[in-house]
Amino acid sequence: MVGRWLIYALGGGMGHLTRASALARAASQRGHGVVLLINTPFAPGLPLEDVLGSRVEVLRLSPALGREGVGQVVARCLKDLRPDLFVVDTFPRGLGGELVPLLPKMRARKVLVHRDVNPAYVKKFGLARAVDAFDLLLVPGEDAPFASHPRAVRTAPWLLLRAGELLSREAARARLNVRPGDARPLVAVMGCGTSEEVAEAGDIAARLEAALGSRARVRWLMPPGADADSAGLPEASLASRAVVWPALAVLPGVDVLVGAGGYNTVQEARATGTPFVALARPRLYDRQAVRLRPEELAGSVEALVARAAQLASGRPVRGPCLYLSGTEDAVTLIERTVLSA
Amino acid sequence: MSAFVCQENVGFLFSHACGGDAALACMRCAKPLCAAHLRSVGGESLCAQCAREHGDSTEEQHAADEDDPSYYYNDYGYYGAASAGSSWGRGSSHDTNDFTEADGESLRREDDASFEEDMGGS
Repeated sequence: MVGRWLIYALGGGMGHLTRASALARAASQRGHGVVLLINTPFAPGLPLEDVLGSRVEVLRLSPALGREGVGQVVARCLKDLRPDLFVVDTFPRGLGGELVPLLPKMRARKVLVHRDVNPAYVKKFGLARAVDAFDLLLVPGEDAPFASHPRAVRTAPWLLLRAGELLSREAARARLNVRPGDARPLVAVMGCGTSEEVAEAGDIAARLEAALGSRARVRWLMPPGADADSAGLPEASLASRAVVWPALAVLPGVDVLVGAGGYNTVQEARATGTPFVALARPRLYDRQAVRLRPEELAGSVEALVARAAQLASGRPVRGPCLYLSGTEDAVTLIERTVLSA
Repeated sequence: MSAFVCQENVGFLFSHACGGDAALACMRCAKPLCAAHLRSVGGESLCAQCAREHGDSTEEQHAADEDDPSYYYNDYGYYGAASAGSSWGRGSSHDTNDFTEADGESLRREDDASFEEDMGGS
């Protein structure tokens, strides 16, 4: 049965947006109509409609909206759209707690995308009670506080692209402006949690370029739109930049990925077997240090640069490419939940 | 920093890791600890934080409310042995609770009061 889905993916950075986009894309390819609700400051620059297709309608809320404004818009969306299915990413109470009074009134089936969150938030806001409002908890690829809930189901990590949609190594390197025949290792530095982290990734790329010289190529990956903010940066840090989204598409051409410990970056690096080193960035809800493995985690920018340079100076060995996305399974599980209503 | 160095935070004015030789690890969070920073609580050797939480939970158990959903999920926010069988996202040798000094910065906002107030704070 084809239905109308509303996916709530409010939250800063690219994480909620990317994970929800993976689900939206898979659902739309099964024929469902999907509305994706986002408020990240990165949204205006991203070619979401190109990647998600015509069956996904993207509603971009202003990131300037405060708690009250978000609550009003979300209530209005639910009233006007009257979805058959309401999917909420990460926040069972809503980003501002606005879903608490709305969920019991909804006829739609309710699904929570449940990933790791700050235990202080879990305890302080009684999430144990909040998750009970949902018909299904999907746990995509990593542990989560209520992964043992009777209605929770684990899936593989959700990836935005199917394996066949990734670029070949040659095409990916060409996309990142590496000339054909240049066999030097390619280091990609990515920062996309905040505009400050995007800029800092440029600085890290410049430091890696200086450290590695001609032994490797270094590219600073930026999401579209973020490049407009880089006008004031030093020329050296602009030399190697590549505007690309989703970065997952070019990972087959990357020999060392340098980034942070957000959900998507980590899962994409592991799925493609890309050697990876990252900082655990501070977040209000996410715990990047918990997600990163010891061999992936750098304790400082200096350690990050040193580790990445070391990896690139040797012959970077890609890990096993066990590319497996849980989005198809997630759509199937959701469809069963809707049918069981 | 080596995993065998005590990672208990010390310092009155400036918080920093102890740095002494670790004798054991906290039995709940696996934080490496020197002998001076081990606390024996209810037969367990714990770090200061886990010892505090043990005290809290002991008090709470006396007033456990079966109507509260959290009564059934008493391991929330912490993935102990029960999560070892997870199929996804786990390295074979990685204990998720094996913190390093890098974690301090990323977890500094755990007690942040801006939950549900900061609409861009995710």
